[in-house]
This record gives sequence, structure tokens and C-alpha cells, in this order.
Amino acid sequence: MIRYILGRLASIALTFFVVSVIVFLMMHAVPGGPFDGNDMPVSAEVKAKLNANLGLDKPLYVQYLNYMGGVLRLDFGVPFQSPGETVLQLLGRAWPPSLILGGAGVLIGAPLGILLGMAAALNRNSWIDYLASAFATLGLTIPVFVTSMMLILVFAVWLNWLPASGWGKPHSWVLPILAYATIPMATYARYTRSAMLDVLNKPFVTVLRAKGLPERRIIFQHVLRNASLAMVTVFLPMFIGTATGSIFVEAMFRVPGLGAYFVSSIEQRDYPLEMALILIVTLMFCFAYLISDIAYALLNPRIRFGGGEK
Amino acid sequence: MTTEVLPLQRGPLYYAWRRFAANRAAMLSGVVLLVLVTMAVFAPLITRTGPTDQAFLTQALAFPSGEFWFGVDDLGRDFFTRIVYGARVSLTIGFAAAACSVIIGIPLGAVAGYYGGRADWAVMRLIELFSVVPPLLAAMLLGALTGGGFFTIILIAALFGWVQVCLLVRAQVKAFREKEFVRAAQAMGASPGYIIRRHLVPNAISPIIVGFVLAIPLAMMLEASLSFLGIGVPPPTPSWGQMINTGMNFMYFYWFLAVFPTGALALTVLATTLFGDGLRDALDPTLKGR
Repeated sequence: MIRYILGRLASIALTFFVVSVIVFLMMHAVPGGPFDGNDMPVSAEVKAKLNANLGLDKPLYVQYLNYMGGVLRLDFGVPFQSPGETVLQLLGRAWPPSLILGGAGVLIGAPLGILLGMAAALNRNSWIDYLASAFATLGLTIPVFVTSMMLILVFAVWLNWLPASGWGKPHSWVLPILAYATIPMATYARYTRSAMLDVLNKPFVTVLRAKGLPERRIIFQHVLRNASLAMVTVFLPMFIGTATGSIFVEAMFRVPGLGAYFVSSIEQRDYPLEMALILIVTLMFCFAYLISDIAYALLNPRIRFGGGEK
Repeated sequence: MTTEVLPLQRGPLYYAWRRFAANRAAMLSGVVLLVLVTMAVFAPLITRTGPTDQAFLTQALAFPSGEFWFGVDDLGRDFFTRIVYGARVSLTIGFAAAACSVIIGIPLGAVAGYYGGRADWAVMRLIELFSVVPPLLAAMLLGALTGGGFFTIILIAALFGWVQVCLLVRAQVKAFREKEFVRAAQAMGASPGYIIRRHLVPNAISPIIVGFVLAIPLAMMLEASLSFLGIGVPPPTPSWGQMINTGMNFMYFYWFLAVFPTGALALTVLATTLFGDGLRDALDPTLKGR
């Protein structure tokens, strides 16, 4: 187990390194620099001075080493688009709305999805199943900005019940969270349905039924427990996915979250912020997968590490 | 039924078709998809003006009517025309990206599955790399790097679409590697390349088809997402994602500018996904999740 974790950590370090190099090179390969914007034209000398101040005139590998050296000390630099604070301070300010949005979306969507999936699996091939499956497919295939669009149209424009944008008062949180919740709900509905059907077809369920156990106990004590294994593993990566997944929801509802910075850091060649965002999200995904795999192994005694392949 | 003398001669394709035809959702989405493709191909025949012609400037922002089925947009272009040409863009990008995904995915998957060991390790690390980097972020960066545009979007979508195809092919090749006919071919001195081309890839044809079809909606969604953010297909070209973004600004009154591209995108993606799901269930009943 420990060997396995160490191996995975090494693999994460390698991934992190490769991603950082590729992203750094790509970022600097994008034509233009941070001071080429049209809204504040600066003369060539001033630009050269600014670039020199920020170390942007040095060779790329020096810039890379400087930046990554800072990252190892948890110093992600200063964002060019808001020089009054560090990248970490900016994240601390912009992340909470995204986290509330994504977190509430997952916490509301996941249980609903599990219920929907259970209802579908237990009433297989009935109208409940078809309805739930149709709902899950819709949720997974329709882009989230389309869902947001429909919610805005119905609840904000036509019914005028809720505000279409903003983040100030809690009632303006409802629509974005609802829009975001469709993704975890659809994902979980699909997962739960197939996981439960998988377990329901196992011979041990037939044995339990033959033994005369009440159906409710079979479902809750045996089927659901076995099916939940697969469901646990998707949770954490999905939660991390909220960091980037909410870009569109935030754009649609004008939520002052992290999403806008993903776009603006790339558009404005804000190298420190861009690097920091991509590296942090990548690292979180790596650890989310690692923790999910470990949790899966702890919950499922049939899985043991060390046989070469996982 | 009296004429059926030799029912045993039916091939697997017949049964696949029977299974597919029994799936009403898949059949319906197949029909929808066919209609959409026909509309996209014959776009000039069913529309009055070109997609970028500002032919109705005096009637800009006219509501849907008998004359303008989907209304007129803010720049005086017939919106129905824009939507139909948008189908062209969306479907072309979807199919082209899926084709590129298959072209990248098959050799990598086959090599990883056939050779195992180091090759497999390298391919799996590559896949891992693509699974931890959020595709949207990387696509945004690549879009900025290349300035967006039609072919760039296809490449970006393919870059993130091949993983699925590669995994499917790898699993299939791995399962067939130890089969007797492959052993026999090896014993007769066939080269690995020949075995992969002649025996293993043809045997993986159903997962490849499924992977191809399921890559289409993902590519279309990526295109719409990037265009929505303004780093996809550049403006004069009609793209649904772009139209949704513009429509947002007019939503409070001119609702049709947002609703029609939204509906078109949702319908196309949904139809392709259901078609792909049906195809998967029909071609490989063991994968069926029910």
C-alpha cells in the first residue's frame, strides 16, 4: 500500500513537472506580451523597462526556474492584471464564490442524482426509468451555459421570480447553483443506475431473495452498499472539477468568481496567474484521483495494490 | 416468415441492426441526425441569403414570423439561415475532430495493447497527463496560442478526443492478443505491424465506431464552449456557441436570438449522443448497461 502511494506520488511529481514545462512554453509561445493591450498603450522603452522589472527579458529557462522556485516556496508571484496583491490573495478573494457555487451544486445535485438513479434502477424499463435516463442524458449532453440560459429565460425573464445575475444576496445564488447542480445530478444518476443494476444482477442478491430477506433490506443493506463503491470514487474529482466547470455558469450569471480569471489571465498574458491556476487545478486533480483510488481500495477489500497494474 | 429457410446465415450486422432498430430513442435520434446533416449539406438550397449577408438591415431584430422563421438578428441577417449554416460548422467540426481522434487513437491504442510493457506504460502516462489537465483550460490556452479558427478547433478537439478511442482500442487489442488466431499468425511469421493491421484493428472495429460517434458530440460541445467564450470560430462564420453569446445580450426582449441557437445545439448534441449510445448497445451487447 505504502509502496503504491509512493509510486503514485512520484508519478504525480512527474506529471506536475511535465505539465508545468508544457504550459510555461505554450504560454510564452502565445504571441504578444502583458503590455501589448490596446487600452493602455505604452512606448517601447517603457515596455522594455516593465519587462525588465518583471524579469520577462531573461531567457525562458531562467524565467521558468525563477517561477518554479517560487512555487516550491508557495509563492505564485503577483498577477499582472491586479498588481496590488499576490496571486494567492487574489485566489483567496475570487475562489469562495466559485467554491460556494460548485460545492452547493455538488451537494444538492449528487444526492438528487443518486435518488434518481436508484428510482431508475429499481423500476427498470418503466416510465420512471425512461424519464430518469432521459433527464440524465439531457443533463450530460446539454452544455451548462445552455441550461443556464434556459433557467434565466424561464425564472428571471418570463416569471421574474429570481434575479438573472449578480452574487450579492442569497436569492441570487439560487439560479447559478441550480444550473450547476444539473451536472453532478446527471452524472450521479447515470452512475448510480448502472452500478445498482450491476449489483442487482449478482448471484448473491438472488441468494438473499431466496433466503426470504425483505426486499427493502436487500436494497439498502446489500445492494446500495456494494453499489456505493463506484459512487464514492467519482465524488472527489467531480468536486475539483467545479473549479473549472463553473467558468460558464459564472459567466452567464455574472458571478465574481474564479471563472473569469481563467479567461482573462490567458487573454491578457498574465503569466503568473495563468501558471498558478493551471498548476493548482492540475495538482488538485492528481490528488483527487489518488485519494479516490485509496478510498476505493480501503472500502473494497477485493482490491489490493502491488500486482503490477492497478 | 414462411420464406425464411436459412435463418442461420444471417451475419452479426443483421443482429446489430435488429438491436439498433428496437431502440426507439436511437432510431429517432438517427432520423433527427439525418435531417440535420441533410439540412447542413443542402444549406444554400433551403435558405434565401448567404449566412453573412446583411440583407434585411431595415428589419433588424424582427421577431420570428412567416417571412423570417427564426427572426432577424441584430446585424440584419436572416436568423434561420444563420442557424442552418451553424449546423454546417458544428457538424463539420464534430465529424472532422472525431476522425482525427480515431486516427490518433487507433495506432497508440493498438501499440499499447499489443506490446504491453514499456509502450503501454508510456501511452498510459500520456493519457494520465491528458486526464489531469482540465481540457477546457488547455483548449483555451491552445486557442490563444493559435488565434482560434476553424482548423485549430478541430485539432484541439481531437487532441482531447483521442483518449477515449485509444482506451477502447487498447482494451480490445489486449483481449485479442492471446487468441489462437493471433498466435497462429505469429507462428507463421507475420510481423507485429501486419498482425495489428490485419487482425487486431479489424476485430476492434465496433469499439472504434462507437468511439468515433461518441467523440462527435464532445467535439461539438467543445467548439460551442470555446466560441461562446469568444476564442473559437471567429465571428463572421456562424457558430451556435457564438450566437448564444450574442443572444445573451438581447435576451430580455429579443429572446429568439438566444433560444434558437441554444435549441439547435442541444438537439444536435443530444441526437448524436443517443445515436452513439444506441450504436454501442447494438454493436456490443456486452457493454450494454442494462
